[in-house]
Amino acid sequence: MIRLEKVSKRYPNGHYGLVDVSLTIRRGEFLFLVGPSGAGKSSLIRLLYREESASQGEVFVDQFKLSSLRRSQVARLRRQLGVVFQDVKLLPQRTVYQNVAFAMEAVGASTRDIHKRVPQVLELVGLSRSRDNYPHQLSGGEQQRVGIARALVNNPIYIIADEPTGNLDPETARDIMKLFVEINRRGATVIMATHAKDIVNQMQRRVVAIEQGRIVRDEVRGVYGYES
Amino acid sequence: MAMNLNGVGYIVRETARNLIRNSWMSLASVSTVAISMFVLSFFLVLTTNLNHVTSVLQSQVEMKVFINRQVPRSQELALLKKARHWPNVRRIDFFTKQQAAASLKQEFPDQRDLVTLISKSNPLFDGYDVYTYRPQAIPQLAARFKKKSIVHTVVYEGQVVSRLDKLSNILRWVGWIVEGLLGLATLFIIVNTIRLAVFARRREVQVMKLVGATDWFIRWPFVLEGMVLGILGALVADVVVDGGYRWLTGVAAVALPFWPLASLHSVMSEVLMFTLIGGVLVGVLASLVALRRFLRV
Repeated sequence: MIRLEKVSKRYPNGHYGLVDVSLTIRRGEFLFLVGPSGAGKSSLIRLLYREESASQGEVFVDQFKLSSLRRSQVARLRRQLGVVFQDVKLLPQRTVYQNVAFAMEAVGASTRDIHKRVPQVLELVGLSRSRDNYPHQLSGGEQQRVGIARALVNNPIYIIADEPTGNLDPETARDIMKLFVEINRRGATVIMATHAKDIVNQMQRRVVAIEQGRIVRDEVRGVYGYES
Repeated sequence: MAMNLNGVGYIVRETARNLIRNSWMSLASVSTVAISMFVLSFFLVLTTNLNHVTSVLQSQVEMKVFINRQVPRSQELALLKKARHWPNVRRIDFFTKQQAAASLKQEFPDQRDLVTLISKSNPLFDGYDVYTYRPQAIPQLAARFKKKSIVHTVVYEGQVVSRLDKLSNILRWVGWIVEGLLGLATLFIIVNTIRLAVFARRREVQVMKLVGATDWFIRWPFVLEGMVLGILGALVADVVVDGGYRWLTGVAAVALPFWPLASLHSVMSEVLMFTLIGGVLVGVLASLVALRRFLRV
């Protein structure tokens, strides 16, 4: 379970990213974070994987209390989370397979486990045939699939995605979204910040809307609700 | 800092990759370490030799007490017995003038004139060889012997010894200071080498942090790289010093046959120990400094 209690995030320039946000996300949920650009969606997501810390209030991720996390525990927190970025952050000199395997190497997985697990995940995201290609040889949608495979490969409890379809055409975006639904069906909790109005409306999942750093709407079967 | 064995292969591969990718900077770092360690070795060779000379001199007679001629043997032995219990006397040996002549002959067998002179009419004295616990006690002890009426003269080299002691202390300090400055310069160069390696891999480092790699897992390849640079540099210096000292002892054996040079073995064991420790220290420290900024993700 992820819990935010009266969380505020104030940046050094005085700007507020989040104001007094409280939110509970249960395991197994699929949640969209929506709102205009700069509303605080990314701030909230960065708090979850501890790229930033809250200025006030408290964030809990399972047993971790993020305000009092020691450096060595940050690594353990992040192993519970799979993060997917809008800009994917693939390593250009490594193949699809190596990019995904790298995430397992980084946490000290055995070669045997890597050989077993990486093909499974590539199969799931539909990239088995591109395993030896380099990122620049892939389309935007395919690159994002590699990013998702990398986030999944260590079996995280939570998948956190910051506008994963932001750079993709609607058709491709829909395919990527289907992939997240499948991941959620297999048990992972999915938290996604997005601008993809049509998809949100169509999917009928929990929608949390943020404006100017505050939660203005939280609906169990929500819609996007903005004329973007 | 703990890690399982799966990580080891990864770390070794990454280290080798970094060293090769930045081969020119690696070479520059190894050379700097080598120069710095060579200077360290130079001071080590100097101080080892000074200590050697000092100990050779100390093991030789520290003080010779000569007894007046015509003093009966019984009086000579009475003073010997008493002096044995004086403070600071470590050992005291009596010698007759015949014994003194014999040892002179042995020491300079080629000096014909000398040998014939002391064989004909022995001009030498009876006396004692006196050894002390501390060179500083010698002057006091010498004065005490001189007060005795049977004593002719007292001769000692204590001042030479304590001056050598002082000199090697000063040299040691100069060595540490020079080495400290050189060490800083070396550190600076290695920091930059490692920083280049980290910079070339900043995306990898970022991804590793985001998927939950521990700081030490990320650090190890770079720390190992620093260690390898440090050890390689130290070894280069060691090879040069070893060759140089072999040459020096060879030359000295001919030009200065009486000069007591420290053995190659005793010099090299000091040099190896200190340069390797120094190389590892400077390498590890440099990589930790270089990484500090990049790990804050």
